[in-house]
Amino acid sequence: MRNAFINTVLDACAQRDDIFIISGDAGLGVFDDFKERYPQRFLNLGVAEQNMTGFAAGLAMTGFKVVVYNIIPFLLYRCYEQVRNDICYQELPVILVGIGSGVTYAPMGMSHYAVEDIGIASTLPNLQVLSPCDPVEARCAANHALAASQPVYVRLAKRGEPDLHPGKIEDIALPQVLRAGGQVALLCHGSITEEVLKAHAMLVAEGCCPLLVSVPMVQPLPVEQLRNLLGGMRAVVVVEEHYRQCGLGAAVAAQLSLACPIIKLGLPERFIHEIRDTAGMRSQFGLDAGSIVQAVMQCR
Amino acid sequence: MSDALLEVSKEIKRTIISMAHRSKSPHVGSCLSLVDILTTLYFGEMRLDPWDERDIFILSKGHAAMALYATLATRGIIPHEVLAGYYQDNGTLPAHLDKLSIKGVEVSAGSLGHAFNIGLGIAHGFKMRREQRKVFALIGDGEMQEGSIWEGALFGSHLKLDNFTAILDYNNLQGYGRPTEICSFEPVKQKWEAFGWHTVDVDGHDHQSLQRALSEDPGGRPKLIIAHTLKGKGVSFMEDQLIWHYYLVTDEHKQKALEELL
Repeated sequence: MRNAFINTVLDACAQRDDIFIISGDAGLGVFDDFKERYPQRFLNLGVAEQNMTGFAAGLAMTGFKVVVYNIIPFLLYRCYEQVRNDICYQELPVILVGIGSGVTYAPMGMSHYAVEDIGIASTLPNLQVLSPCDPVEARCAANHALAASQPVYVRLAKRGEPDLHPGKIEDIALPQVLRAGGQVALLCHGSITEEVLKAHAMLVAEGCCPLLVSVPMVQPLPVEQLRNLLGGMRAVVVVEEHYRQCGLGAAVAAQLSLACPIIKLGLPERFIHEIRDTAGMRSQFGLDAGSIVQAVMQCR
Repeated sequence: MSDALLEVSKEIKRTIISMAHRSKSPHVGSCLSLVDILTTLYFGEMRLDPWDERDIFILSKGHAAMALYATLATRGIIPHEVLAGYYQDNGTLPAHLDKLSIKGVEVSAGSLGHAFNIGLGIAHGFKMRREQRKVFALIGDGEMQEGSIWEGALFGSHLKLDNFTAILDYNNLQGYGRPTEICSFEPVKQKWEAFGWHTVDVDGHDHQSLQRALSEDPGGRPKLIIAHTLKGKGVSFMEDQLIWHYYLVTDEHKQKALEELL
């Protein structure tokens, strides 16, 4: 996803000379091509996140389309007030690209997990939040963010994820149906979608075919389109590699007023001391394909 | 020239006293501290015409907003009438800066240690665009306790932002004490020199010294002007008094202050 996103930005540079990339000493090798082609439009502002974010805001005020790249905690948490006051309050169309969504970096430890970023980002009213599920959505997210006239936060996992969409998608702001189905709907965002697709295949083998929708635009939520998709469902199961109570599931529950139950599969609201890899974490916290299958079966 | 600036500076100070009195707003001492710096910048040193190519002034210690509003009005950038709505219900101007509120407020500020770094980004942007515009950022001495200031001090020098000038309003009084006692940052000049900045010490109330410092060639480096100032400058009972960070201006205070500022 990361490379798909950055390469899309790089491609856009052929047509426009206002794109500027700032890294907070992250992304070894990711920007080599960009740096070589546009050395004047790249800065590594080091391990100094407050300065990095304020500086990005200032650069944006002189007309540059600034892309800030960092690991999510060092993009949104360490410098939350700079994101709030310098970028969002001043309505600057900066692109914040965060990597390491959820427990992507397990077992690096809690400091490097991003399990509450959507909750935090949702406190910033004019910040769009995009959580692509695969390289196809990541490319579309990059084009959307480059064209946006407001700040955008893009939540990515890492590199090497497979394409989950068979072809290009048109509009990243809309819910993306990955598998048609009925009775129960599965909603998800980000890299956990691969696990949800596995669960879906297992369910189909059992004779159950739920609707499966990726929701890359987490803020603002495409409320009307989701209502249309989810009307008549017996239950909605939201799967996310994020705290349960402040992510997509919570937003869907709060904003859609659905008649059916909403089951939120996510990480529990507590600090993670378990030393497991990403797959281990997912199974530990009920986010592996088997657990997702169980949750859907219970809704039937 | 100097006499004319003195008159302008007094007029801005009188406006501040009246605004603080009318709105029952704190920070009057913080504002009076930097009026002579603002006067020197807005009535001489800064390019403001044409507006699209103007130099940028950033008030990083955003709690001194009254001083900026009063200066912008005196300079004719904003209408005097809007000052009446400062810090009022259904008003026109907030007590900390909002870029979207009115022309001339270049950067939103209020939380300390933000706008200085935004200014560095603007200065770099101007250099990248080969624009000959300068950036001036006024920071407080209490503000210098913020880590972000020191992050910016490192990078401003590394990026050779010689179109950027920081002006330290060194009145040695922050909200609840003297910065030199709360966390001494002396020797401040040597520290910033060591960070790679061109530094100048001046009397922050002497317009000619300020003019000289502002026009000094920084030799390819960003500049820090250490402006030695008095909190509450110009009003005898406010000068160098901690209480005038937060005290409100009563009818009696106002009358006495305006008499002294004639």
